[in-house]
Amino acid sequence: MGRASALALAPGLHLRERAPALERAALIDIATWAGRFTSSISLDPPDTLLLEVQPSLRLFGGLTPLCTRIGDTLGELGFVGQLAVAPTPLAARWLARCAPGSQIDTHAGLASALDPLPLAVLADGAEPATPASLDLLTGIGARVLADVRRLPRSGLARRHARAVTAQLDRAYARIPDPRPWFVPPERYVARLPLPAPTDQVDTLLFGVRRLLAGLSGWLDARQAGLERFTLVLEYERHYQGHEGYEEPHEIVLGALSQDMARCQLLAREHLTRNPLPAPVDALRLEADNPNPLTPPRTDLFDGDDGQQGDPGLLLATLRARLGHDAVRCLAPHPDHRPERAWRWIDPSPTSNAAPTGPLDLPSSPRPLWLLATPRPIARPAAESLLTGPERIEAGWWDGPAATINRDYFVARSHDDCLVWIFQERQPPHGWFIHGYFN
Amino acid sequence: MATPAPLSASALAALDHLVWRGDRLAAEAAPGRPTGYPPLDAVLPGGGWPPGALTELLIPHFGVGELGLLLPQLCNVPAGRWGVCIAPPGLPYAPALAAAGVPLERLLLVHAESPAHARWACRQALASRSCEVVLLWLAEADMAALRRLQLAAEDSATPLILLRPAQVAGQASPAVLRLALRADQGGLQVRVLKRRGPLLAAPLHLPLPWPGVMPRPDLPTSAAPPSRLHSNINASVHALVRPRPARSGPAGLHAGAQ
Repeated sequence: MGRASALALAPGLHLRERAPALERAALIDIATWAGRFTSSISLDPPDTLLLEVQPSLRLFGGLTPLCTRIGDTLGELGFVGQLAVAPTPLAARWLARCAPGSQIDTHAGLASALDPLPLAVLADGAEPATPASLDLLTGIGARVLADVRRLPRSGLARRHARAVTAQLDRAYARIPDPRPWFVPPERYVARLPLPAPTDQVDTLLFGVRRLLAGLSGWLDARQAGLERFTLVLEYERHYQGHEGYEEPHEIVLGALSQDMARCQLLAREHLTRNPLPAPVDALRLEADNPNPLTPPRTDLFDGDDGQQGDPGLLLATLRARLGHDAVRCLAPHPDHRPERAWRWIDPSPTSNAAPTGPLDLPSSPRPLWLLATPRPIARPAAESLLTGPERIEAGWWDGPAATINRDYFVARSHDDCLVWIFQERQPPHGWFIHGYFN
Repeated sequence: MATPAPLSASALAALDHLVWRGDRLAAEAAPGRPTGYPPLDAVLPGGGWPPGALTELLIPHFGVGELGLLLPQLCNVPAGRWGVCIAPPGLPYAPALAAAGVPLERLLLVHAESPAHARWACRQALASRSCEVVLLWLAEADMAALRRLQLAAEDSATPLILLRPAQVAGQASPAVLRLALRADQGGLQVRVLKRRGPLLAAPLHLPLPWPGVMPRPDLPTSAAPPSRLHSNINASVHALVRPRPARSGPAGLHAGAQ
């Protein structure tokens, strides 16, 4: 149907140029995802993907369960497919086109399945028959493939229709039909243009789920897990005047994982943390560095299922919403100045069990709470001072501002709290409270 | 027509955990986590901090002894799990915690921008089942927020300890245990405001470990705080990093002047 007649039938029709590059990209996306079913995949452009499933049948429990599974999970990726199974690649392609759902697993059934296919399929394939040959065959009364097979081969060859016999030979498994294997990319990149720009997180998460479905296939094929991936939000073109404004979100999973529910959860936390500055046009997911994942050892009689949580997941979840620096651990630091005798460290659930080396801790009393800045107090009564003084004088190497010169005392405050106070040794000899014991 | 047989004593005993009589402590389904202070364990139902429940500690200000009271919980975090402090009002001081035996690499400090963030972090920590104990400092919270925290705690086996200002003692709370803390001569005074059991009129006095000794909490505490300034003064330690010529300190305060 031409453009004009289509518009005459439906005036509101929205016409778009066909984009072969996008079609090919989609085919590669699906091929990458299909790595979870078999490692032998071949692209058959423009619209077909060939999977060699014979070695996978036992794992997936037979042909029918495998086909059901492929069909179901393809939907998660956002595509609808027509499946057919046949002993030769060309036959599978023709059957998927003309009789989706056929499952021919023996050579004996192949001929009877292919014979009723229309002649037009001969124009479909890597080396198609020319229109002239098809016209010739139609002219002599052939309607289906069975009619062509009955014609003498030498006659066809003489009439420049050698491509027709070659196609038939490949489809009927009389000559081999080798195909180049598809090699999945080392680095996973998938882009999903949204149907309409949106700033609704729920809509974005729907897109994220599709991208993660593809990522899951890529990881499954490698039996690998990820520690982090990047979700890039591409904003509308005209936003902020410059083209292609995009914002990457690095999503840290907290542990090597191929659990897409966990990825989805953490992506949600990242996206809901701050309002989006502009409507999002497209989503892109990038991942590299997959690490081999050993499956978790599970006990046959695992009664304690689910009692122990995943410490890495909690850390990643909290950091996704509150920010990386909002969740930290403390560690002592060798310095005599109380303000600098500690530092923040990055919590890590894996080295969580590793004991630190022997610590050089002060033998004199130290409070459990430290005030960030010492608070000035009035001069305490002499009987409220319990122990002291402990003179701390250090820090000259960091300049005069960081030098301290103090006498510290343990004292009892008016409401019976044990406090850590000090007196400056420089004039004006002020008294300060610096911490609470207990 | 059959008459109902009188309930035997053994049948009553079997129902014991389902029925709580007001004159004694409730028999909790799950035993509590020992607090590390036997006198306190004795008055708590379950003999410790209730796991999977909300406990409220009311404090006039931070530093009255709440961290000393909770120190045994922080020390007992096993490898592969977290102890979580959410929105602490001050800075827990790493050298003192390390000296007390707290595994600092398993103690998560969570900074929250708002009480809502703090409550969210708390619910996440409880739901993750990877926490040994969760401490949450929360000044203001309405009944619905507290109720949600209580429900989150019930779904986990983690004790949730909420530290709130003493002013909220009059407000209703869904916590199963409410204790009011106050600093006391050489320790901590604990008043039980609410528990699953009869009212405890007399406050409890707990001696907290004296910081100068810093005993490990798993060892018996023996040292009592010295009452006077001069009794311990010679035991003080000077941290003089740079050798300097002797100089007289403020009169009466410097150890050398004694």
